Amino acid sequence: MNVRLPRAATAAIAASLLLGATQQALADDYDLQREVMAGGCANCHGTDGARAGNVPPLAGRDADYLEERLLAFKRNEVADTTIMNRIAKGFSDDELASLAEHFANVEQE
Amino acid sequence: MSVNSKPFQSRLGVSRRQVLKGLGAASSLPLIGGFAAPAFATGSDGRVVVIGGGFGGATAAKYLKRANPNLSVTLVEPARTFYTCPFSNLFLGGLREMSKIAHGYDELRDRYGVEVVHTMAQDIDPDGHSVSLANGDTLHYDKLVLSPGIDIRWNALEGYDEAAAELAPHAWKAGPQTELLKRQIEDMDDGGTFVLVAPENPFRCPPGPYERASMVAHYLAQHKPSSKVLILDAKDNFSKQGLFTGGWEQLYGDSIEWVGLSGDGRVTRVDAENLEVETEFGTVHRADVLNVVPPQKAGWIAERAGVTDASGWVPVKPESFESQQVADIYVVGDASVAAPMPKSGFCANAQAKVAAAAIVAALRGDSTPEPYWSNTCYSLIGPEYGISVAGVYRIQDGVIAEVEGSGGLSPSDASAEIRQMEAEYAVGWYNAICQDTWGTEA
Repeated sequence: MNVRLPRAATAAIAASLLLGATQQALADDYDLQREVMAGGCANCHGTDGARAGNVPPLAGRDADYLEERLLAFKRNEVADTTIMNRIAKGFSDDELASLAEHFANVEQE
Repeated sequence: MSVNSKPFQSRLGVSRRQVLKGLGAASSLPLIGGFAAPAFATGSDGRVVVIGGGFGGATAAKYLKRANPNLSVTLVEPARTFYTCPFSNLFLGGLREMSKIAHGYDELRDRYGVEVVHTMAQDIDPDGHSVSLANGDTLHYDKLVLSPGIDIRWNALEGYDEAAAELAPHAWKAGPQTELLKRQIEDMDDGGTFVLVAPENPFRCPPGPYERASMVAHYLAQHKPSSKVLILDAKDNFSKQGLFTGGWEQLYGDSIEWVGLSGDGRVTRVDAENLEVETEFGTVHRADVLNVVPPQKAGWIAERAGVTDASGWVPVKPESFESQQVADIYVVGDASVAAPMPKSGFCANAQAKVAAAAIVAALRGDSTPEPYWSNTCYSLIGPEYGISVAGVYRIQDGVIAEVEGSGGLSPSDASAEIRQMEAEYAVGWYNAICQDTWGTEA
């Protein structure tokens, strides 16, 4: 039997499957590739970017804000920068967006 | 693979609360049918042995467990307390206590479930995939990580052997040697000369000798202002050279003198008993305190493993830091050949993360993640005068290369405010990397 679902129901099921898939991915996949890309950040910002010191923490901050800052560093638009302008230039804009997303989604203790 | 507590373990390690949270997640998801994994798993996904508990080894152990808590990870490190070379110069300068460069292994053991064994690794059998320990045990591995740091090439510089190092310390491995050098500086009469012998490349911490000269000059300016620092160098160029010489002039006037290779700065013979050194063209310099940074090679266990080449260092595959010569042995940190990455604690940590990810992927049968590395080396010229060099590295044409346009030095014309910020960030960096590596707050 071929049951046709209304479009909205299909979308809802798809969304819930996607959500499920995301949770599954979160559970199963410490995202090894993104962790490797973000690995160097921990050396000044602490593990998961979560250390609160004189170097600002990254964990749990708004992704758009982080991305904007990283792009500004890359383009030499932040006055009185020490090293972040030199570091940000090592990543493509897409990679910086991915890093921003990564740190925005770090679970807080 | 069970789904239950993994996200909590992998992101934040294992605390009681997180384990409970994980159990809750598992019990509320009966369809996934998970059982609660034991907090410290039995190693069903593979056995990894890590030798060396410095920046490279401790980071590798932690990041292996973060990525896959079901690995069995054993860290072999003789010392219960590890003293870092980074910031040991600040101890010499009187800016930091030894206890503030000391780190232990509680977090690795208690939070990440790493088995930490405080003994020496004595030998490695690459064919049998085993490590024999000084305590008589044998450890079997699927993957082995070596982070053995450096060893001194005794007698490569004539007259500089282990006995000489008790009179003219190298202090290039932090600990008793650092304390010995500090006592000698404190005992020196005002008006004395501190002579630092700097080696050819490659060696651990390229800016290290020049930061050391700065910190000693800072101490002397405070306590023995008529004293001098003389650097006798086997090369004509050194890391952050313009920044150092500019800072020296500004902070210490002419009390630091640097003599490079072309100025007959290369020392060819050390007479530790008389605190004298002789250069290539026969000039003899007498020191009141003699600090010899000698020629170096990979830590000796790397030779036992058969991973070193004629240079004494370890060639590695860039994408994973697996040895080019021996399968299933990964070598990170100062022992590896990773130029243009410098031999720094930061790089050891960065390389360890790449190696850990490669090992986790390999044990799952997955492809190696694409590596990323970065480095930042801060040096203090004075307590409020910091400089840095940074780099971001990727693989290009099969070798490690600095990403074009990234990295570089602090500006030569930076303001006093920027120099002060870099001095503060140097401390922020140290505290953060130690938290990331050992979980310790110095």
